[in-house]
Amino acid sequence: MAIVVGLAGAGAVLDAWSLLRRVTHDEYLSTNPASATLRVDSVDAHLLSAVRAMPAVRDAEARRTVVAGVQLGGAWGTGLLYASNELAKRRIGVILHEEGEWPPADGAFVIERSSVAFSGARTGDSLLVRVGTGAGVRLPVTGIVRDRGLAPGWMDHVVYGFVTPETFARLGAPSSLNELQITVRDRSLDRRGIRAVANEVRALAMRLGHGVSSVDVPVPGRHVHAAQMDSLLMTMGAFGILALCMSGCLVVNLVTAMLTGQLREIGVMKALGARPGQLVTLYLTFALALGVIACAVAIPLAAYAGRAYARFAATMLNFDIDGYAIPRSALALQLVAGLLLPVLAAALPVVRGSRIPVAVLLRDAGIGGVTAPWIQRIRGPRRPLLFSLRNAFRRRWRTAFTLVTLASGGAAFLGALDLRVSIRDSVETLFNVTMRFDLAVHLDSPQDADSVDAAVSHLPGIEIAEEWGSVRAAQADAGELVAPFTVSAIPAGERLMVLPVVRGRWLRDGDAPEIVINTRMLEEQPQLAVNTRVNLTIGGRTAPWTVVGLVASTTPQPAAFATRAAISRVSGSARVTTLLVRARNRDPAAQPALIERVRESLEGAGFAIRSSESSVANRRAIEDHLLMVGAFLLLMAQLTVIVGALALGATMSLAVQERTREIGVLRAIGATPRAIVAMVQAEGLLIAIMSWLIAIPLSLPVSVLLARAFGRIMLPVIPTLVPQGIAVSIWLAVVIVASLIACAWPAGRATRIPTVVAIAYE
Amino acid sequence: MTADVLISLRNVGKSYATHSGSLAALRNITLDVARGEFVGIVGHSGSGKSTLLNLVSGIDRATTGELFVGGVALHAMREGAMARWRGRSVGIVFQFFQLLPTLTAIENVMLPMDLCARWPARERDQRAQALLGQLGVADQAHKLPATLSGGQQQRVAIARALANEPSVLLADEPTGNLDSRNAAMIFELFASLAEQGHTIMAATHDAGVHRLCSRTVVIGDGEIVEPVASYA
Repeated sequence: MAIVVGLAGAGAVLDAWSLLRRVTHDEYLSTNPASATLRVDSVDAHLLSAVRAMPAVRDAEARRTVVAGVQLGGAWGTGLLYASNELAKRRIGVILHEEGEWPPADGAFVIERSSVAFSGARTGDSLLVRVGTGAGVRLPVTGIVRDRGLAPGWMDHVVYGFVTPETFARLGAPSSLNELQITVRDRSLDRRGIRAVANEVRALAMRLGHGVSSVDVPVPGRHVHAAQMDSLLMTMGAFGILALCMSGCLVVNLVTAMLTGQLREIGVMKALGARPGQLVTLYLTFALALGVIACAVAIPLAAYAGRAYARFAATMLNFDIDGYAIPRSALALQLVAGLLLPVLAAALPVVRGSRIPVAVLLRDAGIGGVTAPWIQRIRGPRRPLLFSLRNAFRRRWRTAFTLVTLASGGAAFLGALDLRVSIRDSVETLFNVTMRFDLAVHLDSPQDADSVDAAVSHLPGIEIAEEWGSVRAAQADAGELVAPFTVSAIPAGERLMVLPVVRGRWLRDGDAPEIVINTRMLEEQPQLAVNTRVNLTIGGRTAPWTVVGLVASTTPQPAAFATRAAISRVSGSARVTTLLVRARNRDPAAQPALIERVRESLEGAGFAIRSSESSVANRRAIEDHLLMVGAFLLLMAQLTVIVGALALGATMSLAVQERTREIGVLRAIGATPRAIVAMVQAEGLLIAIMSWLIAIPLSLPVSVLLARAFGRIMLPVIPTLVPQGIAVSIWLAVVIVASLIACAWPAGRATRIPTVVAIAYE
Repeated sequence: MTADVLISLRNVGKSYATHSGSLAALRNITLDVARGEFVGIVGHSGSGKSTLLNLVSGIDRATTGELFVGGVALHAMREGAMARWRGRSVGIVFQFFQLLPTLTAIENVMLPMDLCARWPARERDQRAQALLGQLGVADQAHKLPATLSGGQQQRVAIARALANEPSVLLADEPTGNLDSRNAAMIFELFASLAEQGHTIMAATHDAGVHRLCSRTVVIGDGEIVEPVASYA
């Protein structure tokens, strides 16, 4: 049972990882994702054919992406619409048709599958869609497709849709295609190499008279959520390995006790001529047989659980698991582990047991044998309780293994519970301390900051309004633009975003060419260390900038900040694209009305709005994801608790078996069945409570590691350095209940053996 | 049955089910033991001596017949009540001493007192000390059984058996694991306890016990072989 649980847990994680690896790698590659995307003023047939003719370019296609408003339940949500010529025949970023019409007709909307539940719109329904300040056009939803290169719409609260360029025109959006997507011929190129090719394409486009505003090169061959999935899988894997190790400890206990119970038989065999080597072979073969049986049960169990988890995790990547065949390598690894674990666990006790002299093995010393003298130091007022307390320490190594197993489960459990608290605290900090605005409105195009401010500053209900911009910056390296990133342009005296400074300082008002980056940016671009000077090209102008500060990351995305004044000074322009608003009335129920007033005022002033979002909705979305993952981690932690409880139950079963004769004596001298049960339960509870004490400090490094791994998934999380009182209390209750349950059977068994049989037990 | 009879067996039999059919360990045992007697139960291995003692102590149940100890019908008692009765009424001495290895000598003696709560907690230590002193092992009180000799362990075991002042003391091969000198000492102890009024039944191979017993009962093949004095 112990081997089965540990093997099944570790195997489930391994199987899920193998399946998801295939998804995040092979199936993602099957979509033929773009190596690079260039934003061009317009992509015409001439440019397209010229790019396709480049030796380094395998293929090129064009599309346009428009951010639209989609009405969802009376409020406007965000939509991302993609248009291309011949959507159904796309070779880059292959889209799979699921139902209904494909490609969409002019005036129709085909929705991406992951947005169906979020939008509530299926084939046959319709959606009111607007771009900019338009009134909106109701588009019939005529089909459903799947784009595996997109993050799930329900996760990002975005409605993904596919339309024709003609439909863009009906919506009042430009219908020309402005994104040039390329794939490179040499698939072995790394990101730097692909960027070089992309820069060649950019140069060609510029020679042909096109303006190129950005070049985006993702990590080749990696799904956008692959890093998050790897972090999640690694965390799960750690739990799986922990469960396997705990099972190993349990098997050591089991084999040791089994041998102890067979000492007489071993003595007889040795007396009859059996050599130690023969005995070792005999018992290791038995251990191997245990492993075979365990594998027969655990491997199918692991496959079932692994597939279920992979299916769940794949939805986070907007993938289906097509084909649930577990890779042979994963199965082989589980088989080897399942066979080796009991053999390795049994090796030492078997070898030791085979070396005990025959005379010792055959001697019947009645109960018990030698007890360590220090055990007398354990004192107690009542002998039955004292008997239980001291019994817990009779087999020190077994007790130690049991403690390690149970305490490990407890540390994992506490760590997972603490993580949930850390997640909540971090979200609370993010939305109350760091991000101090209630809504964000993103404009369709960069605008003059004062004009935007004038459009909203008179609105009642607004406490603070800040106009932020964003520009693309790239490092200039030997005439090439490398490592582009987005810089947020903050207004003077900004107050609505307070990021914790890790190193250096935050920006000062003024136009000094200074930038502050977040820790994620530093990971991606380590050359941007604090106090370094770098040449950045912004708006086509190159100038030296100084990195003056490093701030904590509040999202997994890299970010950089500079003042609007500094960007204006260097690039000649500092228009704004985002309006952040803090409301006087912080009640979340009042936010939708305020969003509408702001939108109406901006649109009335002639500003086209790309999208708007409230902090409340953002927070809900983030909490949903984080808590879902946190819940899964807790589930894995519970698996380790189960293994720990199994360890305790097995230890107590062995203890009862070994002390059958003692129990018989106790019953002979007047112990009632209830007294016997109480003694067994007391011993189990003592071990359980000791494990609880050990688990508390052990949970601290677990909490830190989980927080670090989890921070890569969605949101940097502050680890809990002091275990939460409530978590510690919950764990105490869990461990007590687990102990009572685990010891119930051995305690009952102790009373069911007839006294006369127990006394005669050998 | 007269008022002096403490233990009374009437046509008691014990059978065990085996693969080859029913095995009769005891057949038609009728026996009375008076208060204050020291009865030796003698017979070869497998004759039924231990089975007889197990029935009298309530550790095992008779298949047929009636068994009374101190006026209590053991054949009609439930398991939980049996344990409580046994703790108060019967003291058992085993061949292999069966002291609990993690408790010291005095703690082993106090254990039955804790189980039956016959004496107030504050008196138990003193009573245990007195019992160990009576048996000549007071200086071993705080030692673990593994550090005691066989003879010392058996005397501690006897002290434990006397902890709750039982009406009956049963000893199953009490000297089987002792050398002859210690064996003689133990039987002399039993004789001394009998003189003090304790009722003792001791099963043994040792035929020499008859010199110290008030009566010897010989059991062979599950039946009483030699005639015994009956107090019916």
